[in-house]
This record gives sequence, structure tokens and C-alpha cells, in this order.
Amino acid sequence: MPSSSDSSPRRAWIRRLRRARPAVPDWVYGLLTVLVLLGLWEYAVDHAWINAYRFPPPSKLARTFEALLERGFPRGVTTDVHFKATLWRILKGYTVATVFAIPLGLFVGATPLLERAVTPIITFARSVATLSLLPLAVAWFGVGEFTRVFLIAYGCFWIILTSAINAVQGVSKVYVFAAQSLGASRRQIFVQVMLPASLPRIFAGMRVALGMAFLVIIAVEMIGTIEGLGALIMEARNFYRTDVTMVGMIFIAIIGFTLAKTLAWLERVLLPWVTDLEEVQR
Amino acid sequence: MGKAIAIEHVTKRFNDEDERALALEDVSLHIEANEFVSIVGRSGCGKTTLLNLIAGFLQPSSGQVLIGGEPVGSPGPDRGMVFQQGALFPWLTAIQNIEFGPRNRGVPRRQRRAQAQELIELVRLDGFERKYPRELSGGMQQRVAIARALANDPDILLMDEPFGALDELTRSEMQLELLRIWEARKKTVVFVTHSIMEALYLSDRVVVLSPHPGRLRAEVAVTLPRPRQRSSQEFMAMYEEIHRAIF
Repeated sequence: MPSSSDSSPRRAWIRRLRRARPAVPDWVYGLLTVLVLLGLWEYAVDHAWINAYRFPPPSKLARTFEALLERGFPRGVTTDVHFKATLWRILKGYTVATVFAIPLGLFVGATPLLERAVTPIITFARSVATLSLLPLAVAWFGVGEFTRVFLIAYGCFWIILTSAINAVQGVSKVYVFAAQSLGASRRQIFVQVMLPASLPRIFAGMRVALGMAFLVIIAVEMIGTIEGLGALIMEARNFYRTDVTMVGMIFIAIIGFTLAKTLAWLERVLLPWVTDLEEVQR
Repeated sequence: MGKAIAIEHVTKRFNDEDERALALEDVSLHIEANEFVSIVGRSGCGKTTLLNLIAGFLQPSSGQVLIGGEPVGSPGPDRGMVFQQGALFPWLTAIQNIEFGPRNRGVPRRQRRAQAQELIELVRLDGFERKYPRELSGGMQQRVAIARALANDPDILLMDEPFGALDELTRSEMQLELLRIWEARKKTVVFVTHSIMEALYLSDRVVVLSPHPGRLRAEVAVTLPRPRQRSSQEFMAMYEEIHRAIF
């Protein structure tokens, strides 16, 4: 009988335990794990189990971090310069890709004949690994900023374009039927039904594209520039500064994390109606 | 006020070569203004096809559908449609969903807001105006769907298994609600359902279709006064009659 067992001291104790558990947030466990691993790493280097030169310990990385902020690497090019350069390139390339891909994708997706006509081109362009275009892009545009931004935009463009096309085509017909029976015109249906119904999938594509932007940026910063986090890592490699490389990686992770969170926040603000379930399904 | 629907020798085939693609064959049916007619039958009997012909989503291969004496053209606001669950616009709140039709037909903001508020009260959703569909239960969502269809003040309400996805209790609650709403706003209702009980409980007349090809099998006038007792002798006798007609 549930009522009698519920009131037993043992059950009450378990209930209290369950209620008590959320007091420790989930991230604490993750943080503890990381701290333990960092401690082990430091300890292992101290006892010369692993090479401090190849695997600079956390204490060394902390000093490097400080040095990069103050003096920079190469000397004079401080971290904020690298940060700004990388962030700007990503924002430019990503924004250009988004601004062109979304309207075009919506248009193509809503025009079946056009969609059939351009599908082979899109499939091909999407399959071309963006970085394999690097030599060609350098030949066309030189090794300047334009090439870097172009390659980021290229990588993102096809992903967002495809997601926008699929999004429009995936809009449930019942929404369109409902809108028609409510007397909406074709234009009203496009703007007020197709567009909002497509947005969750377009956002999913934008998230994937952001990952692509990071893949491309690091590689394109490895040529022809000393500014940017990719350049920082590359320069560090030339001087066998594994510590600088690692700190550079951490910087990249910080930008990536921040941008991904910003995009997620934007999605929550713009699409408050999207359920968590749908987020998982996407 | 409702309008009469005349379905005259309507045949609908989806593919000219394939005999099985004959969804409806020579169906004739007259529905009076303000009448509540249910269409029942097994899957594939063409119930939904018939509804879509009236709605204007489909055109008959031969024969014609007349509404108030006029042939049906494309879908329009004179025929409100209530679908099975999941047809509300998830990006609009309850009241925005209800306002969708009037807004796109250019009804001024203040006027359409007042109408929508009235409909919210009619379907008893006061306090849920600003909720998104996902925040509403299945029954509440269908209340919004009915209000949305009524917002254009249509002559005809077309309902395609509107309560099919609801649990038993919510379903009977919604049936009662629909009758109340239908009393308040007289409309011609065409109601497609799988449930003989539901059809008998709601309608003035139950139309039975048989599958492959979809033909009109039987028509049963239900003259029992409302609210009906599902366990009454007459009710059960009619249930048996329709059941026999289907099988």
C-alpha cells in the first residue's frame, strides 16, 4: 500500500535525499573532473612522467596565458589583436553567408522547378571541401583578407542554403491548408506561414555553419598573416612553443563557446515557441 | 448563418489508369443549411476526400459540389476547417491563431481583437490567450482550432476527425462543447469521424461511406433529442444499424 510505505521513515529519508540532490548543480561534477585531471597532469610533469616540453603543465600554461595578454606572441601582437582579427573574420564571413543564403534558400525551396534545376550544383558545391579551395582562392584573390572571409562565407553559405531549402520543403502541408482555408493569399502564406515554420530548421543549419566557420578560420589564418588565433598557433608551432599553441586553443574554444551560446540565446529570443522536444529532434 | 451543400454525382479519381485510385464514385449528398452531418466509414472510404472537395482543396473528376447554389472554387474563408490535432500555427499564441484569418482579410486590429476575445470566451479559454499551442492541452488546442475556424464567421464548418487524437474523457467533453458552440453560432457542420458513437451523439444525420471505391452506403437520420443518452435503447439500435452498414 503506497500510503503506508510513503510515511515510513526509510521512504521519507530517500525522499529527502532526492530532494537534496539538486542542491549541487550538474556543472560542479564536470568542473571537479577537470580539476582532478589538471592536478594529475601537473603532478605527472612534476615527477617527470611526461615531458614538460611537449606537455606544458597547467601552471606553465597559466604563465603563458598572462604573457600572451601582456606582451603578445609574436612579440607585440597581443591577444586582443588576435581575438579581434579572428572574431571579425568569422562575423564577416558568417554574416555574408547568412544574408545571402537564407533569402535564396527560401526562394529556391518555394520554387520546385528551380529547386530541381539547381540541386546538382548545390550538391557539388557543398561536397567540395572548403579548404581544398584554398589554393584556388589564393590564385584568384591573393593572400589578403578577402580570401579568408571568402572561404568562411563559402563554407557556411552552402550549409545554410541547403538547410533553408529543406526547411521550406519540410513545412507541414497542414499549416498551408489551414492558412488557405482561413483565406490567406499566397504571399501571406509565404510570409506568415512558410517563413516562421522554416526558422527552426534554418537555425539548425546556422549552428552547423558556425562550426564550419571555425574549421575554416583556423586554417585560413595559417597563411599570409600574423594576426588571428590560427596565426598565433601557426607561429607557435614554428618556434616549438607548445604552451602558446595550447593557450591559443583555449582562446579559440572561448570564442567558439561564446558565439554558439549567443546563437542559442538569439534562437530562444526569436523563436520562443519552439519546444525543447523539437530542439532534440533537430 | 449556415449554407446548404449539394454534392451531385461526384466522382474523384487520383490517377486515371489505376482503378484503385477511385476515391469516390458517383456520390450525391444534400446537406441542409445549419444541418450537422457526420460522415463515417472505414479507412480509405473517401471521407476526407469528400471533405476536401467541399473545402476546395480538391476538385471533382466529374460531378459538382455546390454551396448555397454556387459551385465550389478554391479554399476560402466561407468554409472554416478544423483539422486533427497539430494544425495550429505553433509560432502564434492562441489569440493570434484565432486572429489569423481576420487579420489577413484586413479586419482592423481593434475589431478583430474584440472578435477574438469573444471567441476565446465562447470556447472557454479565458486566461490562455497568450499561450503558445505547445503550452495547451490537446483539448484546449482543439478549442483554439474551432475558434480559429469560426473567426471568419464561415457559413460552413468542416471538421476532419477533430477529436480523434484526444483521450476518451476529453473527447466527450469536447463533443458537448461543440454542440454548445454549434447552438450559439448556427453553422452547417460536416464532421468526419471514425467513431460511430461520436457521429450518433452529435449529428442530425449520419452518412456511411464504403471503401474501394468510395460510395455512399447508407444515410441515417438521428432524430433523438439532444443531449443524447449513449446507453439508451434507440441510440444502441441506431449504432447497430450503422455498424451493419459499415461491415
